Amino acid sequence: MKKFYLMLLLVVGMVVLAACSSGDEETSEGGGSEGSSSVDTITAWAWDPAFNIAALENAKEAYNGDGEYEVEVIENAQDDIIQKLNTGLSSGTTNGMPNIVLIEDYRAQSFLQAYPDAFHPLTDVINSDDFAEYKIATTSFEGEQYGLPFDSGVAALYVRTDYLEEAGYTVEDVTNITWDEYIEIGKDVKEATGKNMLTLDPNDLAQVRMMIQTNGSWYVDEDGSTPNLAGNESLEKAFETYKEMMDADIAKIVSDWSQFVGAFNSGDVASVPTGNWITPSVKQAADQSGNWAVVPMPRLDMEGAVNSSNLGGSSWYVLNVDGKEQAADFMLNTFGSNPDLYQTLVEDIGALGTYSPAAEGDAYAVEDEFFGGQQLLTDLSTWTDEIPAVNYGLHTYAIEDILVTGMQDYLNGAELTTVLENVQGQAEAQLK
Amino acid sequence: MKMKKKAFLVLRNNSLFVKMFLIMVLSIVAVSLLITFSSIRMSSNLFMETFSISNTKALEQIEIQFEDYSFAVVSAMNQVQNNGTIKRVLTQTDATTIETFRSYHDISEQIERIYPTVESYDANMIVLGNNERLYNVNYSNWPVSWEVLRNHPITEYTINRPNTLLYQYLPSTSFTDEPMIVATKALMERSTGEIYGVLYFPIREAQLKQFYEGYTSMETEVLLVDETGRIVSSNKEEMIGDEAIDVMALAKEVEDEELEFKDVHVFGKDYMLMSQYLPTYNMYLVNLVDKNAVLDNLVNTKEILLISLGIVLLAVIVVFIISRRMTNSISRLVKQISAMAKHDFNMPVAETGGYEAKKIANAFNSMLSELQEYVDLVVQAQQKQRSAELMALQHQINPHFIYNTLASIKFMIQQGKKENATDMIHALISLLQNALSNVDQTITVEQEIKDLKNYVLINQSRYGEGIKVNFFISPDCLDCQLPKLILQPFIENAFFHAFNEKKEGFVQILVSQKGENLLCEIADNGDGMEMKGDYTKEDIKEKRHLFSGIGIRNVHERIQMLYGEEYGVEITSNKGEGTKVKVELPLQKTDTLVKPNKITSFQE
Repeated sequence: MKKFYLMLLLVVGMVVLAACSSGDEETSEGGGSEGSSSVDTITAWAWDPAFNIAALENAKEAYNGDGEYEVEVIENAQDDIIQKLNTGLSSGTTNGMPNIVLIEDYRAQSFLQAYPDAFHPLTDVINSDDFAEYKIATTSFEGEQYGLPFDSGVAALYVRTDYLEEAGYTVEDVTNITWDEYIEIGKDVKEATGKNMLTLDPNDLAQVRMMIQTNGSWYVDEDGSTPNLAGNESLEKAFETYKEMMDADIAKIVSDWSQFVGAFNSGDVASVPTGNWITPSVKQAADQSGNWAVVPMPRLDMEGAVNSSNLGGSSWYVLNVDGKEQAADFMLNTFGSNPDLYQTLVEDIGALGTYSPAAEGDAYAVEDEFFGGQQLLTDLSTWTDEIPAVNYGLHTYAIEDILVTGMQDYLNGAELTTVLENVQGQAEAQLK
Repeated sequence: MKMKKKAFLVLRNNSLFVKMFLIMVLSIVAVSLLITFSSIRMSSNLFMETFSISNTKALEQIEIQFEDYSFAVVSAMNQVQNNGTIKRVLTQTDATTIETFRSYHDISEQIERIYPTVESYDANMIVLGNNERLYNVNYSNWPVSWEVLRNHPITEYTINRPNTLLYQYLPSTSFTDEPMIVATKALMERSTGEIYGVLYFPIREAQLKQFYEGYTSMETEVLLVDETGRIVSSNKEEMIGDEAIDVMALAKEVEDEELEFKDVHVFGKDYMLMSQYLPTYNMYLVNLVDKNAVLDNLVNTKEILLISLGIVLLAVIVVFIISRRMTNSISRLVKQISAMAKHDFNMPVAETGGYEAKKIANAFNSMLSELQEYVDLVVQAQQKQRSAELMALQHQINPHFIYNTLASIKFMIQQGKKENATDMIHALISLLQNALSNVDQTITVEQEIKDLKNYVLINQSRYGEGIKVNFFISPDCLDCQLPKLILQPFIENAFFHAFNEKKEGFVQILVSQKGENLLCEIADNGDGMEMKGDYTKEDIKEKRHLFSGIGIRNVHERIQMLYGEEYGVEITSNKGEGTKVKVELPLQKTDTLVKPNKITSFQE
């Protein structure tokens, strides 16, 4: 009888074992939620792991508020962020939307205008005066501050001091000059060294944008939507300058980013007029250390133009979804009021912020040997404050698409006024 | 009843086999059942899990397709919303013919510039203005008039939600033969809040289906269910437009609880349901996998069951044969051993069967033979002892006899019966001579009779002539051999016990051949006695005045010991009629003296 029970036990045991083997499914599922309905976790979208994603991670470390929530940083390509925001916001859903999103300044206004209720105003959260003035114009809408300015797109002229010297110029000779003077120097440099002065990409009118902003002008009027092309003197001057550079044969034509970087890394060009975010790329060519200097951007030869401009740059936005208070709190206690964070950003990832109090920090005063001991960050911060504020409006890229064709017509010999009237007409038909 | 008993007996005899076999069969069946079921379960679970993973990936791909389309719609929508020309034309009132003509041209130009954004999806684009203006890019895809469209429920619905891009289902009966999904957006002037038009992106359901059709099969179905639970798109055409609120609820549950999948029972079948919420469409993309159909392709349960049944049968047969063989030899052994008593423990068991059984039988047999040897030794020793005892007894002449006889002789001499005394002394001498002589075991009949006669003489001299003794000896027996003093105890018995009541009588002694045997009979007509049983027992009391140590009881024993069991003493007696003693011995002539059996060889 005892044996029988033993056997019974054995059989039961085996059955239980067999049952167990299939019992542990569906236990570890779920996990990372993309939804933002939970206020325990807020999500943030950005696109560059080496730059703005890293900045967010630093911000998480530097957070000095007393909110209790997790911040989840999600990397998405910039185009995906634009697409997801557009599709999500247009259908009025908050499902799958982040709490914090990074938006390029040129695009900010179109989002703010198209989806007015989708963003959470930060007017009462941050102090706008602490940030570079030109940033405020692009990140606010109808009197409300929506964006928290992040990186500075301050433009500068990176020059090869050795090439200049060869042509008989000093760094002073290229400081605070006009574009006309720049072209003259370029001709001499080309003559002396055989090197081109700069690179130009026919499909990217970044140079034109930087030029017109030195004079506080843009593709659209102050209202942000009316195209301001025909009769825009700054634009006319920029077009003329552009053509002059072509005519002077001082520009190397490139068609993409790698050719652009390759040109100055290999020493093919004598200067790079672009945003300060190019610094790490310039420094990649370690053998050129000490042969570079950074000077203010050339200005348009016009009344009121300054030697300061901008290219690119982005800002943080808080979406009007559950958890917006936490997201605003996170923004305030990191990028909004934490000078130490900006020191870390500069030191660790070379990200130059637009938070003015941060410029007084020690990290900004560091002398950069690559640029011959120049206090580069201090200089850039100073120029940042001088950037003329413009409203980038809704249609920067839409208008530029039209302008690219206009530029081709102009370079092919069309009358400038006609060209600009033509593009103005096209823009008005397409945009309002 | 008998059958039952027989069955029980068979069962008991084979209990070892039955137990072993039952346990093994139970184990085999249990193990194979468990293995079969758990492996079927495990493999189907594993398969379903991987299936669900790949289907979830497929769903994600489908979702990307939907989002791409959605993005195209949004881009086109943004362009239309930002388009000054479109706004101008749609808000234009009281225009002259020329102005209207230009407007139509301008707006067509703009719309045709924007349309390619969605054209690759084969979606149509319709712009509806309040001022009876309608621009339908691809007229074949929803040919609708301004009045119908303006008063259409989807237009009403859109105007009530001006800030949202809506995806609405249009059943096939309304306008065309094919059901459509229409993305709609009200065109609103932001500053005033005035709605100046409505934008439509109708796409045929068949076109939408292409987003996911590549991921469907016989077993997997994809449904697009809107928030009201209506199936707006499916790879099963007959389902389109149906209400499936339960599916919607389940999809919502899966999505809300972030499950990988859920086992559900809908449309009368068991499905594995996976779902993906499409936030921009406000619809659920549902993937239904027909579990049974999928598993039928994977696991042929019937085949596996048959195979394991076959294995079980095979194993049971093998187990039957092996355990039968093993237990059989053991049970045979057991049977033989139990029957051992019937054969006086001298029948060896058969050494057959398996190795173990053979060994056991072998050990048992050698034990048995050893035992037998010992038993033989003991028996022999006992017989030797007994024989020695008898021998000793034979050589013992009772001193009383001699004393009494001598006393009698003394009286005779005193009475002056010289003759008689001399005879008696002669008789005594001859008797003693024969009795005590150690030369031979056996003597001739003649000698024995002589001794008996001497003995009778002595007794008659002592006790008188009341008892007559007659000798009838067959002459051919005279030279036959017989053990010494074998008949004397019977005569002595007759003298001393047969005539206690009757004072006179006679004793007859007959010796003759009977076949191969020598038959000696001692018969008296004395008192006789009640034969109670075996004469060898206490029936005949030994008295002290014995001539030699050998009593009647010993005679039988001695004969049997000397010649075997077929010989011996037989006594018949009746009260008052006398006693008759028959002694049967083998016929042994002096010259053809047969060597007595081996026991005699121990005599020296």
